[in-house]
Amino acid sequence: MLVQVDELNIFVATGGKIFDPDLPTILFLHGSGGDHRTWAMQTRWFAYNGFSVLAPDLPGHSLSDGNAFSTIEESGIWLAKFLNTLGVDKVHLVGHSQGFLTALAFAEHHNDLVRSITAIGTAAEIPVNEHLIKTAETSRDKAAEMMCNWGFGPNAHQGISSVPGMQPIGISRAIMKNNPLEVDLRACAEFKRGSEISKNLSMHKHCILASHDKMTPMKAGLLLAKNMSVNPQIIQNSGHMLPIESPKKTLLALRKFIETIAS
Amino acid sequence: MANSSYYKPETIALHTGYTPESDHGSRAVPIYQTTSYAFDSVQMASSLFNVEQGGHIYSRISNPTVSVLEQRMAALEGGTGAICTASGMSALFSTFITLCSAGDHIVSSEQIYGSTATTLRYTLKRFGIECDFIPINDMDALRSAIRPNTKLVFCESISNPGMEVSNIPEISKCANSFGIPVVVDATFATPSLNRPIEHGANIVVHSITKWIGGHGNSIGGCIIDGGNFDWGCLDEKNKKKFPELTDPYAPFHGINFWEEFGPTAFVMKVRSEAMRDLGAALSPNNAFLILQGLETLDIRMKKHVENTVALRDWLLSQNGVSWVRHPEMRDDSHIKEMFPLGAGSMLCFGVVGERKGGAAFINSLSLATHLANVGDSRTLVLHPGSTTHSRLTKEDMEAAGISEDLIRVSVGIENIEDIKVDFLNGIKSALRTIK
Repeated sequence: MLVQVDELNIFVATGGKIFDPDLPTILFLHGSGGDHRTWAMQTRWFAYNGFSVLAPDLPGHSLSDGNAFSTIEESGIWLAKFLNTLGVDKVHLVGHSQGFLTALAFAEHHNDLVRSITAIGTAAEIPVNEHLIKTAETSRDKAAEMMCNWGFGPNAHQGISSVPGMQPIGISRAIMKNNPLEVDLRACAEFKRGSEISKNLSMHKHCILASHDKMTPMKAGLLLAKNMSVNPQIIQNSGHMLPIESPKKTLLALRKFIETIAS
Repeated sequence: MANSSYYKPETIALHTGYTPESDHGSRAVPIYQTTSYAFDSVQMASSLFNVEQGGHIYSRISNPTVSVLEQRMAALEGGTGAICTASGMSALFSTFITLCSAGDHIVSSEQIYGSTATTLRYTLKRFGIECDFIPINDMDALRSAIRPNTKLVFCESISNPGMEVSNIPEISKCANSFGIPVVVDATFATPSLNRPIEHGANIVVHSITKWIGGHGNSIGGCIIDGGNFDWGCLDEKNKKKFPELTDPYAPFHGINFWEEFGPTAFVMKVRSEAMRDLGAALSPNNAFLILQGLETLDIRMKKHVENTVALRDWLLSQNGVSWVRHPEMRDDSHIKEMFPLGAGSMLCFGVVGERKGGAAFINSLSLATHLANVGDSRTLVLHPGSTTHSRLTKEDMEAAGISEDLIRVSVGIENIEDIKVDFLNGIKSALRTIK
């Protein structure tokens, strides 16, 4: 569906169901250069099993108008307007990579609106190599190639896909190279308050990490889990792009957590 | 390196899409000879049917052995996904009907395989889909042929049987500027010699019966989604140009393939609709046999090309050979750019003695096989004048671009000296018909 926020058309995937603000709502936030399709294999399940789902393309990404935010803090402020527009008063936040930083920036000021927060393939801070940012500034295609090389784990590099016939690396490259990677990566690099915020979260929390994550390495993920005071769930043989390369395991981990809270 | 894998093509062909399975450690891809797949629970069954998660339901739609082949083909061509079908023709038909509805229009190269031309000219017309045929490398002709209701431009990377090389970069630039995708049949090229998506094409189709399988034992087809076309584009009246992919699809709870799947919207629609409705599924046994061929594609293609060049040059020096045709004999710059490793292993030549000479050549061969197929590892020959076109007059054959003396050769990977000896016998027989 299309939603107007700040007079811009924002595309929001709702998992194939009409959005109902009266149902428990899960908000999925994509990472750098991504879009709602990051969550294609999670959103439909929740939408058809008693939840309302929102997976927006953040401004400037894929099917949404506008420009990408240059800071994570701006993304957090925008998220509050977005949820207000839709009349959502409580939300389960799920963020992948940069999407989790956005979730943190939002949660810092809206603890009361957040029912739970789940970190997927991420860290409290995401330092980004300056060379990668510079590459993205001159060639998004080249930067997307580098990101996918590092971002995907051994199974995806072997061309294994849980969706018959598909190539997750090709899909991600096709999405990333058309999105403002350079702005997203710079925003990640400059966000330094993740550790502080993650230590002060008072809602239900969960952390799902990948054993072969090179973008936000396990060490950083484990530190985040420690900050959040949770036992992380580690998905083996997967890289940073967890929702795409291990969609079933990611869904199962999310389901167990969110269904437990809901019950 | 292709867009969807960081391995080199030789490695992709051997490893992509499969690692030894956990139960038995089978190194070869197992043949999943099954119609259907047990569901863990009602909830799981429901989620599979509703595309909430990936997996197999019924082998008409997908099968684990076939999927390995699909994932290899997608990676080799640099696509986002692939679907294998029962034949090359069913791959083409599935592609056409996924993108076109009654009232739509296709622009096709006039130099294409006869059965494809028949589908476009006659079969699809019965369903209200029209096609215009043009010299595809003439960009003015292409621009003129495109109508507001044109849904795709079709060509073959190396045409069958004319062996014209389509200028895919120019064709794609032109068609995409009108918001129209380019579909390329790349059967004669294989991804070892040319990957059309890297040159701007949007969808690639193969008859994997030919060089991909390579051993003349299984019929199959494949469709690869380039993931590089904006199906959400609008037409001149600001209406959706591809409602087949951007309107809610009732059979799947109103799913919008473009919004939901983006770079795999096309191939997901093929899986959801064409595979369900046409039922042209590749059998797992055939997928297994074709996988055995695919694993050695790269080294076979090198040998195919090496033999073709050697045979071409040898034929040019033979008394009794009137002419030789091979794509690399043309000066067009796009051929060298698109085919740096060689432009395939098909060639045509004429022998003295016209129709009688051609027939005498064929009858004298003992190594090369006379049949109606191409892309086998063995050398194959066909004399249209005494087979497929035998009932036509000389004039009718010329109108079809085929001379009475034409011999079509699919050059195999035997020792080239043995092929030459065999062909020399044939040429001597052709010479005897004019004495």
